[in-house]
Amino acid sequence: MALRWGGWWWRWRCGASARRAPPPLPPPHGSVPGPGSRSSPPVLGGAMCHFAQRSSVLSFPKICNIFWRFHHTSTSQMCSCSKTVSDEKYQDPFQLGRKDLKNLYEDIKKELLVSTAELREMCEYYFDGKGKAFRPMIVVLMARACNIHHSNSREVQASQRSVAIIAEMIHTASLVHDDVIDDANSRRGKMTVNQIWGERKAVLAGDFILSAASLALARIGNTTIISVLTQVIEDLVRGEFLQLGSKENENERFAHYLEKTFKKTASLIANSCKAVSILGCPDPKVHEIAYQYGKNVGIAFQLIDDVLDFTSCADHLGKPAAADLKLGLATGPVLFACRQFPEMNAMIMRRFSKPGDVERARKYVLQSDGVQQTTYLAQRYCHEATREISKLRPSPEREALIQLTEMVLMRDK
Amino acid sequence: MWGALLRLGGRRGLAGAAPPPAAPWSQVVSEAEKIVGYPTSFMSLRCLLSDELSNIAMQVRKLVGTKHPLLDTARGFVYDSRNNLQMRGLVVLLISKAAGPSTAELSFQHNMVSGIYSSQRSLAEITELIHTAFLVHRGIVNIGELKSCDGPLKDMQFGNKMAVLSGDFLLANACTSLAQLQNTKVVELISSAIGDLVQGIYYENSKSSEENCLTDDIGISTWKEQVFLSHSALLAKSCQAAMELAKHSAEIQDMAFQYGKHMSMSHKLHSDLQPFVKESSSDIMAFSLNCAPAVFHQEFLGRDAWIKQIREAQGKGNIMDYKKLQEAIKAGKGVTSAIDLCRRHGNRALAALESFPPSEARAALANIVYAVTRFS
Repeated sequence: MALRWGGWWWRWRCGASARRAPPPLPPPHGSVPGPGSRSSPPVLGGAMCHFAQRSSVLSFPKICNIFWRFHHTSTSQMCSCSKTVSDEKYQDPFQLGRKDLKNLYEDIKKELLVSTAELREMCEYYFDGKGKAFRPMIVVLMARACNIHHSNSREVQASQRSVAIIAEMIHTASLVHDDVIDDANSRRGKMTVNQIWGERKAVLAGDFILSAASLALARIGNTTIISVLTQVIEDLVRGEFLQLGSKENENERFAHYLEKTFKKTASLIANSCKAVSILGCPDPKVHEIAYQYGKNVGIAFQLIDDVLDFTSCADHLGKPAAADLKLGLATGPVLFACRQFPEMNAMIMRRFSKPGDVERARKYVLQSDGVQQTTYLAQRYCHEATREISKLRPSPEREALIQLTEMVLMRDK
Repeated sequence: MWGALLRLGGRRGLAGAAPPPAAPWSQVVSEAEKIVGYPTSFMSLRCLLSDELSNIAMQVRKLVGTKHPLLDTARGFVYDSRNNLQMRGLVVLLISKAAGPSTAELSFQHNMVSGIYSSQRSLAEITELIHTAFLVHRGIVNIGELKSCDGPLKDMQFGNKMAVLSGDFLLANACTSLAQLQNTKVVELISSAIGDLVQGIYYENSKSSEENCLTDDIGISTWKEQVFLSHSALLAKSCQAAMELAKHSAEIQDMAFQYGKHMSMSHKLHSDLQPFVKESSSDIMAFSLNCAPAVFHQEFLGRDAWIKQIREAQGKGNIMDYKKLQEAIKAGKGVTSAIDLCRRHGNRALAALESFPPSEARAALANIVYAVTRFS
């Protein structure tokens, strides 16, 4: 069923509700491929819809490219008017967020001012600017997207920026502890804190970073935000505990894996997105959108991380590969592979503890479609994230967040 | 330490008067518990009933037979009722009761049980959670420093893992409960207290492994700063936070802080002094070379002379003769100075209590001070 441009645009206009009506539609630019399948018209229609103030329009090759990718990755019907592709130029999320994040690490270090030089050095060790700063970036982009949605103001509030800082600190504190728990000796291409200073001090450093994060959180002065972000701290610990246990039943295993993934990785992103949305906009629907975006992106991020553990080599990753197997953890690729190779069950149950298990398991995974299945699953989560975030008023930041889901899928470290 | 024998206290004025005959420590505690409404040894630590902790308990059993310190910490909870006293929580409850209902917000009253607001009870629990979390986190071992006599590496790694996880679990619970108090000022106070505690423990740990540094080169004022961080800050700030929860004035908050601070300083000094004031010398207790009497002694004697005394006590086999060292310290002014300092802090704690109206709770708090400043 071909959708008429006019009718389509009319429906979008009506759906815009309280927002300002966008400027009138420019005439379709260049030739447009005929709608081949159901999923294509909304994409193209969206491309033709003009949201932003500027008048740039996507070029034809780009439309084709985007169309193809969406066609191949989407499995559910696009929701009608809110699924759009911006006619903005490709927005590099890192570029967009760069200004806000420029002094992020400096500001974090200010929170970690402590008189003992060595303790400070340990705490600052990972805030050297070499991490991906992925989480703070999502947070500031989400902050802007929500601010624009609510009041058309792009300014990031000080409190929202604090949330980005706090999220990164909580994340780092958990990394420091995780490295002690896993007895890891390298991360981000350098030695771990426990490797250099010993486990006792490393645990203290993690505790200190956490306390500093908590202090910064209290200073925002908002009890709701405190509750939302404290939930993360609880989830991180519970996630670690989930990792301690294991399930017999194959079906339970997957649910267990996803729950652990949520708690250990996605909760932080979901709740920090929710926190900035609360600070930027009073509408609970927006809070839910932000939360769902963060949750889905977070899960996708971890799934890809688990894939990379199999497909990438240690130097590139910055940390040892096949690390999960060596820790006895059965992640996505393994769980999928197990469906093809039931002999893996025994290895999973004994957490790859017998000599040769790790190597065998790795081979099975690479022979199976475990990696592909996990990647596909990640794509679906990304798609869901995109679907959610598209409900917000359009903005460069919103597009960047969509772009980010692509980047999550494409990353190689 | 806490267990010094004392006779029952009366209700005379607090600071300055001769300390009343003091009660046995257990009696001080049980009186105090009655005052606050229920035995604090059952103080919920609700999370103890959680799945996660029973998981940990099972895992910690695997540590039996190993040398990981977590086992001692865990044993301490189960068997040693003295260490398990949850002193901090009790003090927070007492001071909450002593301060009485909020004068600022009269609508607050309904939430009180035995004269204490439920938020204050929660805070007492949080304080204990944090204290316990750090007891656990103190019990981590440095893998790189292990020797073969410490046992299999795997056991130590496993013990570390359990210690980190359980400590984190307790801290996370503390944070969650803090958030539920819906008071950002309290979260600020307690978060900063945690930061202080970490720094204090860090100093504790920072014994140089250099050969001649069995003891730090610190004077008594540095010692006081470090001990404040590791032993006082948490209680002091919790007492203050308890006042904030009831919306008491800044002055009352400060007095509560002062009580918490000075009482815990006295407690630490009292504890440090035990090896030096006990008469029976059949069991020579080993003591830290950074304990208060030793630090004072070093300050009076000069570092070089002190190091010399340590070496003499170490003898040829590098095994410390604590009795000899103890005598060296007793011969100097270290012990009396430490006792003086303990009493000075005690008096300041009592002075802070004057700002609270007379009550059973206040008397109990005073009794605690008498207990930790008594050396006989």
